[in-house]
Amino acid sequence: MRGTSIAALITFVVLVAVVLVLPAGCKQQWQAAFLQTVSPIFQATSALTHGLGGVSGGFKRLDELEKENRELRTENAELRTSNSMLKNLQSEVNRLNRALGFRERSPFNLLPAHVISRENAAWWNSCTIDRGSADGVAIDMAVVTEAGLVGKIVNVSKNAAVVLLVSDEGLKVSVSIEGTQEQGIISGTRASSNYAPDLRVGFISKTAEVKPGMKVFTSGTGGVFPSGVLVGTVKGFAIKELEGVAAVEPAVDLTRVEDLFVITGTR
Amino acid sequence: MIRFTIVLVVLIFLASVLQRYIPPIIWLKGSAILLAPVILFYGCLTLPFPHVLALTFFTGLINDLLTVPLTPESNFSIGTSILLLLIPALIMHGFSSTFLRGRWFTNFMLAELAAILTPFLLLAQYGIISFERRAFFYNDVIMWRILGPGVIAIVISPCVFLVLAYLSDLLRYEPQRERPRQG
Repeated sequence: MRGTSIAALITFVVLVAVVLVLPAGCKQQWQAAFLQTVSPIFQATSALTHGLGGVSGGFKRLDELEKENRELRTENAELRTSNSMLKNLQSEVNRLNRALGFRERSPFNLLPAHVISRENAAWWNSCTIDRGSADGVAIDMAVVTEAGLVGKIVNVSKNAAVVLLVSDEGLKVSVSIEGTQEQGIISGTRASSNYAPDLRVGFISKTAEVKPGMKVFTSGTGGVFPSGVLVGTVKGFAIKELEGVAAVEPAVDLTRVEDLFVITGTR
Repeated sequence: MIRFTIVLVVLIFLASVLQRYIPPIIWLKGSAILLAPVILFYGCLTLPFPHVLALTFFTGLINDLLTVPLTPESNFSIGTSILLLLIPALIMHGFSSTFLRGRWFTNFMLAELAAILTPFLLLAQYGIISFERRAFFYNDVIMWRILGPGVIAIVISPCVFLVLAYLSDLLRYEPQRERPRQG
C-alpha cells in the first residue's frame, strides 16, 4: 500500500470516528444546518413535481373526457375540459376551506405548512415541511391535519423542519380508545408498506372490549401531543401473551398528505 | 481525476435528493429506487483508493443526514452508513483492475455486481435497527424493502455505468490501474 493510501485510510478512520462519537445534539445541529442548505432544492423540486403532477392529472382528465365523449357522443370536448377544470378548482377550494375552518375552530394555535419532501427510506417514515424556526417551529411540536395526527417535529432549521410521522416505528404516542377506559401506546410498524402504513396500539389490557371501528385519540400523557386529537380507527384486536394489541388505520393518509398544521401552542 | 471525483460527488448528492422524489414501486411492495450507491460503485471501480474512501465517506454521510430522523430515542447513529457502505465499496474496488481491462462483458457483469451489492446498506441498517430495538421480525414487505432496490438496480446499473463511462470520456479521465509496489 502506498503512502498516500495509508494517509487516506488514517484520515478516513479519524473522520468516521469523529462523526460517530459526536454528541447527539451536535449531530442534530449538523442535520439542521444541512437541512437549511438543501431546503431551497427541496422547495424547488417540490414545486416542479407538483407542476408535473398537475400536468399528468390533466392528461388523465382528458382521457376520461374522451371516454365519456365516446359514450355520450353529444357533448363538446372543450366544454368538458373546462368543466372538469372548474370541478378540480372547486375541490381545491373545498379542501382549503376545510383546512381554514379547522384552523378557526381548533383550540390550538395552528401554523399552516406544506410538505416539500417525503422520506423514501426503507426503515424511517418522515417528511420535510417548508416551515422552520423563523416561523416559530420547535422540536417536539405536534403536527396535525383536519383529519387527525400526522407526527411531531424532530429537527428544525431556519426555513424547514423534519416531521417524524406517526407511522414510524420510533414514534410512540400515548392514546385512549373511544368508548373504553383503555389507554395504550401507539406506534408504526417496520413492516408496513409506504402505501398503506399500519399502526398498532400496545399495552391494552387483555380483557378490553376493543372492536373494529372504534376511534383512537391522543390521551395527552407525556405532554408532547395534546389530548383529543384523532389518530386512527381500530381495524382489529388481538390478545397476545402479556397484552392486547389493536391494529389501527391512520386517520390521515400519510402517503399523500400535503398541507398540514404545526401546533405552536394553545389559544 | 479530481474533476471526475468532483463530478461523482455532485451526482451522488443530486441522486440522493432525487431519490426522495421518486415514488416507491408499489408492485415491489414499496421498494425504493436507489441511484446513489450505483454511482458510488462506479467510482470505486474507476478511482484510486484515497478517492474511493472520500466518495464512500461523502455518500454515507449524505445518506444519513437525509434519511435518519434524529430523536432522543433514535437507535441509528449518523455516520454509521459510512462504515456500512465501506464494505461493498471495497469489494467493488477490488475488481477495479478487472474493470479497467475494458472488456464489455466483464464490465456488464460488474455493473450487475454493483446492483447485487446495492441492498447491502438496507440489509445492514435493518440488522442494526432490529438489534437495537430488540425486535427482529421478518415478512415479505421487509424482504422486498431490502431486495427490491437491488432488483431495480439490475436494470438501472448498466445504464448508469454507460452514462458515467461516457461522462468520464467527456472529462478525458482515463482510469489507471494501481501498480503493485516494487521490491
